[in-house]
Amino acid sequence: MHDHHDRLTILMMGNPNVGKSALFNRLTGANAVVSNYPGTTVDVTKGSLRKDRHSYEIIDVPGAYSLEARDAAEEVAVRILDTHPDAVVMIILDATRVERGLYLALEVIERGAPCIVALNMMDVAQDKQIAVDTAEMQRVLGIPVVATTAISAEGVKHLADMIRKAQVADLSAIRSRLNGQEPDQGAVARCAGCGGGGCR
Amino acid sequence: MEAPCRGAELVTAAVGLAAVACGAANILVWAGPYDGIEIGIMAIGGPDFFRWVWGSLVVVFGGVMMLAGARQMHAVPGYGKVLLGVAMIGIIGGTDIFALICENIPAGEGAQFFNSATGFIGAFAPPYPPAVVLLPFALVIGCALYAGRADDGC
Amino acid sequence: MGLTADERWDLVDAIAQRTVAFGISRQTTGDVLGELTVKPLTGIPTALAVLYAFWSIFGSFAGALVTDGFMIKLFDGYWLPWMQAAWPDPGSVHYFLFVGDPAAETCFEAFGMLTSGLFVSFGVVLPAIFVFYLMMTLLEDSGYLPRLAVLMDTLLHKIGLHGYAIVPAILGLGCNVPAVTATRTLETKKQRFIMMTLLALFIPCGAQLGIMLQVVPDTVGWVLLYLLIGFVVFGYVLSRVIPGSNPEILIDVPPYRWPQRANVAKKLWNKTRGFLTNAVPFVMLGILIVNILYLTGFIGWLADLAAPLFVTWFGVPKETVGPLLAAFLRKDLAVAQLATIPMTSYQMITAVVLISIYFPCVATFAMMVREGPRQLLAAIGVLAAVVLIYGGLIHAVGILLGVA
Repeated sequence: MHDHHDRLTILMMGNPNVGKSALFNRLTGANAVVSNYPGTTVDVTKGSLRKDRHSYEIIDVPGAYSLEARDAAEEVAVRILDTHPDAVVMIILDATRVERGLYLALEVIERGAPCIVALNMMDVAQDKQIAVDTAEMQRVLGIPVVATTAISAEGVKHLADMIRKAQVADLSAIRSRLNGQEPDQGAVARCAGCGGGGCR
Repeated sequence: MEAPCRGAELVTAAVGLAAVACGAANILVWAGPYDGIEIGIMAIGGPDFFRWVWGSLVVVFGGVMMLAGARQMHAVPGYGKVLLGVAMIGIIGGTDIFALICENIPAGEGAQFFNSATGFIGAFAPPYPPAVVLLPFALVIGCALYAGRADDGC
Repeated sequence: MGLTADERWDLVDAIAQRTVAFGISRQTTGDVLGELTVKPLTGIPTALAVLYAFWSIFGSFAGALVTDGFMIKLFDGYWLPWMQAAWPDPGSVHYFLFVGDPAAETCFEAFGMLTSGLFVSFGVVLPAIFVFYLMMTLLEDSGYLPRLAVLMDTLLHKIGLHGYAIVPAILGLGCNVPAVTATRTLETKKQRFIMMTLLALFIPCGAQLGIMLQVVPDTVGWVLLYLLIGFVVFGYVLSRVIPGSNPEILIDVPPYRWPQRANVAKKLWNKTRGFLTNAVPFVMLGILIVNILYLTGFIGWLADLAAPLFVTWFGVPKETVGPLLAAFLRKDLAVAQLATIPMTSYQMITAVVLISIYFPCVATFAMMVREGPRQLLAAIGVLAAVVLIYGGLIHAVGILLGVA
């Protein structure tokens, strides 16, 4: 609720059913507190993460498809975003349905919050023969993109490491990167620039 | 390759048919004047509405589902139906066994808390409800089907 | 600068095109089953199977194994006699409040805070809650629950609810306490209010069902029929009468997954802990308050006051008034007391239906208090009205049929 200045708040946001809670549990261990968000009936879970002498408060924001506040959960999501202007937003995408999640991601990016993307459910995507190029997504968006599989905890440690590298993304830069690179489509091969785009 | 496939289909259909017959018999006996009939190791019908009517209805549906899927069980739609049918019979049989276990861990009336080992094992003597009798057959079909699909066998 | 939704989608498409590649995939087993379980023709039988499993496992574990197998022996055989012997002064006020009836042979009958209260909380409700939440979590994490909600959605919309209302409805058949909590999944105030009221009124809890089956086995079918009719009719009426919206919600149906053990364990622990810290104190306090009301003569006074109403309006014998009022404490116990009063079978049906609808038990009441005093007052108002109308209706139907 109250921001401690030594303690960074991380808001985990994403569509419903993207494995957000499972990822939250992986990150926070066993000390989560479920509480009713004031004035609503939506449950909000809070936990904490300690990583290399940094301590973070992690809030599992209710699943939302957009920030247009069309139902109680989305309303709460917007309110949490409003009350934590300094927080890092961790956007969780479902690797099998990237588009739906990207819409929310862009809305969050537009608000100007520092962001990091967790591309979750990579195992399911692999089963379904869907390949997501995380390096290219990282380059285009200009923020760290980490592939995770919450169920087997793959990538979770890397995700925790990357929290500190969260970036404020710029929409016009994303646009120009999309346009500027239009001619050469050989995106998949460009893995060398992995760290490039976002995490200076 | 051809022969075992045909065999699997026949076995599935047979178990499905048996499930429909047993389930229907259960409901009829429950509705009729008899309290219950024993045929071999199988007990048909009993007084409990929940167990004998609701459960049997599910067994009938499971059997129908297996029958419906048996003919094309190596293609996707039939495979799903057979698997679901197997799961339904498995659920009824499995929960019936679970009930038996739970009811027999504690001692009956009396001062003791735990049942004796012989008392516990004795509770598992036949007769069984049809779903329990059908359970091993359904499970074998289900496992074979699941494994077969995994390595793309027939 | 804000983007319009269309511009945003264009951008999404551009990014996705750049980063996502689809291979040729075949349907997985999960996909096939996922489709079959939402189609009504195959989905409804599946739902029947899942609900059967839910009830069977619930009954076997919580009922047969823990409560009947161990807790009753422990509490009735050791705890109660020990308390009755150890607590000083059987005639005193504090004995009545904390231990209850000195001659009681079971913890159901004693009614003391430390006898019945502890027994109900830890012997009956805790195991039930535990296994209930375990199965709910499994259904939730595997992805079956949303499919059940989709199946039920059309039906439940007719009575002002949406598909997810099936969750509290199922829970309520076990115990109304977690069911009231589960109404939180509903979207609007109106829906929560309707569901809470219907829960309190027309869904008998597991304990009640069990006692009904033992005490009045011949009439259970009729009682359930009356309750079901009441559920649908009053749901329909309430959804028309109560202001507020009943929005269509999009239910997101995730693919089937195996539930993860760590995740399930964590959810289960959180929910069980929630019960221990929230509900248990309320149950204990509730019993204490009702005992005090008995001592001060309030309940007796109320019984005298209400007697003419019960006799003329509902057509039940005067002796039933006591059990009906006691139903506030434990509905199941009230049913047991009713069985000893001589009356016609139609009067019996009326009385048992009345007990079921007429007031939530003390624990449910406590949970409703937690949801907000205004909601509760409104709910009590509706409850009173519905009991009067429905009880009178049943009586009237009996008179018309010539059996009352």
